Parts: sequence; C-alpha cells; structure tokens
Amino acid sequence: MIFLTLEHILTHISFSIVSIVITIHLITLLVDEIVKLYDSSEKAMIATFFCITGLLVTRWIYSGHFPLSNLYESLIFLSWSFSIIHIVPYFKKQKNHLSAITAPSALFTQGFTTSGLLTEVHQSAILVPALQSEWLIMHVSMMVLGYAALICGSLLSVALLVITFRKDIKIFYKNNHLGNESFSNVFGNTYFFSAKNYYKSQSIQQLDHWSYRVISIGFIFLTIGILSGAVWANEAWGSYWNWDPKEIWAFITWTVFAIYLHTRTNTKLPPANSAIVASIGFLIIWICYFGVNLLGIGLHSYGSFTLTSN
Amino acid sequence: MGILTLNLSSPTLKPYQHHNNLLKCPLSLYNSQIHRLCRKKNLSITITCKLKATKESAERERNRVGKKIVVSEGSPSLSEDAGNGRVPASSDQNSVGNFKLLKKLSRRVLSVLSNLPLAIGEMATIAALMALGTIIDQGEVPDFYFQKYPEDNPVLGFFTWKWIFALGFDHMFSSPLFLSLLALLAASLMACTYTTQIPLVKVARRWSFVHSAEAISKQEIAETLPRASVQDLGVILMGAGYEVFLKGPSLYAFKGLAGRFAPIGVHLAMLLIMAGGTLSAAGSFRGSVTVPQGLNFVVGDVLGAKWISLYSYRSFLVRQFHTDLSLLDLEGKEVMRKTISVNDPLRYGGITIYQTDWSLSTLQILKDDEGPFNLAMAPLKLNGDKKLFGTFLPVGNTDSPSVKGISMLARDLQSIVLYDQEGKFAGIRRPNSKLPIEIDGTKIVIVDAIGSTGLDLKIDPGVPVVYAGFGALMLTTCISFLSHAQQPLGEDTWRV
Repeated sequence: MIFLTLEHILTHISFSIVSIVITIHLITLLVDEIVKLYDSSEKAMIATFFCITGLLVTRWIYSGHFPLSNLYESLIFLSWSFSIIHIVPYFKKQKNHLSAITAPSALFTQGFTTSGLLTEVHQSAILVPALQSEWLIMHVSMMVLGYAALICGSLLSVALLVITFRKDIKIFYKNNHLGNESFSNVFGNTYFFSAKNYYKSQSIQQLDHWSYRVISIGFIFLTIGILSGAVWANEAWGSYWNWDPKEIWAFITWTVFAIYLHTRTNTKLPPANSAIVASIGFLIIWICYFGVNLLGIGLHSYGSFTLTSN
Repeated sequence: MGILTLNLSSPTLKPYQHHNNLLKCPLSLYNSQIHRLCRKKNLSITITCKLKATKESAERERNRVGKKIVVSEGSPSLSEDAGNGRVPASSDQNSVGNFKLLKKLSRRVLSVLSNLPLAIGEMATIAALMALGTIIDQGEVPDFYFQKYPEDNPVLGFFTWKWIFALGFDHMFSSPLFLSLLALLAASLMACTYTTQIPLVKVARRWSFVHSAEAISKQEIAETLPRASVQDLGVILMGAGYEVFLKGPSLYAFKGLAGRFAPIGVHLAMLLIMAGGTLSAAGSFRGSVTVPQGLNFVVGDVLGAKWISLYSYRSFLVRQFHTDLSLLDLEGKEVMRKTISVNDPLRYGGITIYQTDWSLSTLQILKDDEGPFNLAMAPLKLNGDKKLFGTFLPVGNTDSPSVKGISMLARDLQSIVLYDQEGKFAGIRRPNSKLPIEIDGTKIVIVDAIGSTGLDLKIDPGVPVVYAGFGALMLTTCISFLSHAQQPLGEDTWRV
C-alpha cells in the first residue's frame, strides 16, 4: 500500500515539475533569457529525473520484476530516458538547445501515460512466462533508450528544417548569445539583416552537429536492442527473426537511420537533406512504437492496448 | 621579424568556427594557431598557420628546404603508392586480351554497384517493401485477397489482387522481388567494401612516405610552407593528438584510424549476418508437436523423448510452465534429461527443443464408480493469456437434440469447477483429492487432469554464423561511434 501511494506522489511531483520547466523554457525562447531561471530549471529537471527513477525503482520492488512489461511501464521508462538525455549535456557543461526539446517530450510522455487512456495497465502484474528472462532488461531498455535518443535527434532535425525553410524568424532577434545587440543597433538595418543570417547559419550548424551526435548514440542503442531481441527470440521462440510486425518496423527504423548516416558522408550537400531523412525517421519511430501496438497482433502483443472510453 | 601566413582556404568556407585549438608549442618562437580544415565532415575550418620568426631564427630558416604541408581528406590516391601497380605478365596474347576484357567488365560492374546513392535507394526500397508486408496480410488463402482487394473496387484506385499475386506480396518476405533486392544490397556491400574501403587499409598500413615534392603537390590540398622545420611541425601535430612518424625529411601523421576501419567492420558484419541467414533459410528444419503427459514421442529416427510432468502454480494465471524431458536413444537408454521452460530450451547434438505452450488434454473421471472415463477437454476462448478448458458429461437421454449434462471447467491442472445440468455452480474438486461430488444424483470423482505440452523442435545450422555477425555488428558500431566522438571531424592525415 505504501508503494502505491509513493508511486502516486512521485508521479505527480514529476509531472508538475516538468510542466513548470516547460513554461520556463518557453519564456526563455520567446521572450528573453533570464539566467537564474535557467539554472533553476536545470535543477528542476534533475529533480524530475530522481522522481522518475524513484518511480521505476518503486515499481520494481513492488512487482518483483524489472518495470518494463507493458506499454505503461515502457512509457515511463521513455520519459526517464528523456530526462537522462536532458541532463547529460548539463553535466558536461555544454549549453545547448536540446533542452527545449527533451523537456516537453518528457512531459508529454508522462502526461499521456498518467492520463485516463491507459488506466487498466497501471497496476503491476506478474509477468507472462515468455517475459521471464534476463534478456528482458537488456533488450527492452536498449530499445527504449534508442527510441528516446532517436526521437530527440529527429526533433532537432525537424527544428533545423523549420529554421531553414522559414523566411521570417522572429525568435532570434533578441538572442544575446553573442552579445551583438548593440552592434546591430549601431550599424542599422543592413547589418542587422546579416546578423540574422549569421544566427541562422550558426543555429543550423549547431542543430546539425547535435542531431548527428544524438542520432548516432540512438543508432547504437537501437542496434544493440534489435540484436539482443533477436538472440532472445532464438532462446525463447526458436528463431531469431520471425517477420513479426514489431520486428519489421524496428528494422525499418534502423534502415532509415542508416540512410541518414550515409547521407551525411557526402559533405557537399547542405545539411537539410539528412535532416529530411531524420524527420521521416521520427514518423517511423512513432509508427514502430505505437502503431504496431495498436494492431495488437503478433508476438509482441504484450504492449497492446485498446482505447477505452473512460 | 618575418611573418609568414599560410592560408588554406576552401570554397566551402563557413563563418562558424568550431574548434579553437591553441597549441602550446614548446618553441616559443612560433605562435601558431591551427584550425583544421577538413572536408570530410560538414564542418570546415580554415587552417591558418602563422609563423613568427625572430631575426636569428630567420637566418636559420632561410637555409632550410621548402616543405609542403599536405592535408589529405581521405586516402591519398593509389598512384602515390611507393610500389606501383604491377602489370600481369603473360605470354599468351589471347588470354591477356580476354583477361583484360573481364577485368574491364568487372571494374565497370564494381563501380556501378559501389555507388552510394544506389545503395541508399536499395535500402529505401527494402524498407518500403517491408512496410508494405506488414500492411498486407501475409500467407492467407487466395480467396482472402480476392475479397479484400477486389477488382471492381481497387484500393488507392489501382491496387487489386492481381498486383499482389504478380509481385508476390502475399508471401512478401520470401518473394523473388524482395530476395533479389536483398541480394543486390549484399552485392553493393561487397562491392563497396572491396573498392573503397580495403584500399584504405592498404594505404594506411604502408604508411608510405612520399619524398618528392612534386608528388605531394599533386594532392588535393597542398601548400608550401617555406622555411619551416619538420620537427617543429611534428611537435605541433603531436600536441594536437596526431600520431606522427618521421623519416628523414618526410613526415606522416594521422589521427582517428579506428574511425576508418570501423565502417569496414560494420559492412563485413552485415555480410556475415546475411550469409548466416541464407544458411538458415537453406538448411534449417522445424516442427512442433503436442504431447500428452507421460507419452513417448519419436523424433526422426534418432531419439525419442518422454514427457514426465507438467506443473504450474499460482492458479488463475499460470506463472511458468515446465516440462521434464528425457531423451532416449534408439536402445532406450537415457541420454539426457532436462527440465525445460519457455526461456530455457534443451540442446542436444544440433537439435533444440523449445517449450512453447501447454494445454489440458483430457480429464479422467469416475462416474458412479464406473470408469475411468476419459473426457477430452477443449480450449475455450478467453482474452489475453488466460486459458480455459472445458468438457461436458452428458446425463440422461443422449439421443435427444437438447442433451443436458454436467460441465467441467478448468483454468489449470489444480482445480476443476463443476456445474450441474442447469448450469448452476456445483463445486470445485482437486484431481488428487479423490473426493466425490454429488450432482443431480450422479457421483463424480475426478481422478486426474492430464495436460499436454507443446514443444517445438528445430535444427538450424546458420545460428552460429548469425550470432558471430551479431556480435561483430555490435562491436563495430560501438567502435565507429567512439572514434567519431573523439575525432568528430573524421580522419586527418598530414604528409610532409
């Protein structure tokens, strides 16, 4: 009983913290940058990380198995991965725009899971025999971590595309990353225009670089996840590849991001090309993660759910 | 004081300066700021090398030979190799002619196959076909496709069942189209590895020092830096993390070599996996059998297996089911005995036996102290993984159309639930208790609930190969990423 209430408390704390953090980030992005608020938002994200970790550990102790057996638990794990990805650059002292993407993602995931759509799977249940294996920990956690990193990377690519193709970007006017406001004011409109282009190319460079790195990490996790899943399938079901819908879509995701990595080898092309591939990858990840579960067929049907009207 | 400015500029110059490497050179004479120019990744940086020399060193410098700094973005062309290509000497004119023609053709084919956009297109097509394979239901009877994709109301305006059967989409993953695309991808991988990447190995291994100034100036990026000292340049490069090799007046430095080799490893691992998959497809056998408790069944003509007991606990939801298997050889001697469960198969001599399922097959009862009668149990549909089996004992006139009887339901082997002729709940009995139950005047004793286990047997020769490919792929992708993390601009080589 204690565990249940603890779970509830932790869930609500993390939910509220993340919503505050998102508000702060929106303010930063649209209005002005207040350094103190930024610091406190970073600390708040660390607090969220601890809350979600506590949530997962509580579920683990309470149910006796690693908390990754159905869709609800995997979504909580996903939001945990997002919070990790958010705080890793913070500890490396690299300030970047990634935080504006991971924090909302974590919030939305958390909110969706705790909403009314999936109430019947909130309860911890015992594992079906097929899932009682050590491989569960490795395979599913690697897959979810991979998905989280790839989602972040592809969202950064989407941001890159938005910046590339929008003529009129109001957000970067007052950005004082380089402290050039006075410069632009003194020299008038023409310099202001070129400064805007400068910010634009700078942001594109940064987004491209970060998106590449995050997608690379995600690709490795995805590879390890798919391969460990194949080995587990061979142990449990007798064959390492069963042409299961979930397996096929995971492989399609892998292929699309392999195409992304290959398009980057040709450096003469503008970064928008690979960004388009990564954006397609974003859609495919969602199909792979949610769409296949909605079908509810195949060997991976543990994660299926039906949308009940509550 | 002379100031020497060396500017390597490229047409893709971008205003964003990424790395700011201020190298501390032990020689205080030089004040150099080296930014590296690299075309391999899309960040490009100017290389500016400012050498300030004081007066006395200027005297020294004037006596030095002019040196050239070459930054190569990838492998230097093979023509720079110290050993030139050997012409195959053959005395027979005809065979030389044929051989040359074959070589030319294979070179042509190789260059077509190792084209990167082609490979990307192949990967995209394979991905699209796989997606299509999940949308279209696979392996159904033709009637299903006639109904679902009718001719008079085609999906998307043109897609009828004729398309499906013509292209083999009903068995997409073994259709000729899909398999030939996979084979093409494998060919592309092999061609790419052979033409592009193995020569890199050769070049990197030879670490050839190019001595002549003219040869270096033929490189893509070459500059002249007169009055520079090779040793000082070597020290600067070492400070930047390069591995430097000095041989006389020549210098060779590289960095990030693992990043060059890891993609080769990735491609080779993929080829290994594909080879293992082909082996599996060609040479594997598979069969499944449902064996009731206590019976022997014979597999091929090699061995037989005896199923001993099936036990489960925690009623209402079977937690784990085990089967005790005993393998006997042809004489009946026990060769191996193991309790298998779902994630724990039995392996013997290339054959693997997996536990896949369980069910209740019969219920043995005594009716009015007569019997025992075996009643077959049938599975009843229930949601999820919960199972329910039921059987029916007719009472009274068995020829009348609406025959009534006693129903018995069981979720597992522990307890049987009995219902009377009206369907009202009568009682629960455990098979081992031998307690009788009185229903509508009939005395029923449940003797035993006999389960059966579902087993899958498999022989697959390709599994070790595929596992080796998996391990190699995981390792090489990790190495590839780590080397990129250290050297995000890709490999640089400097030759002086």
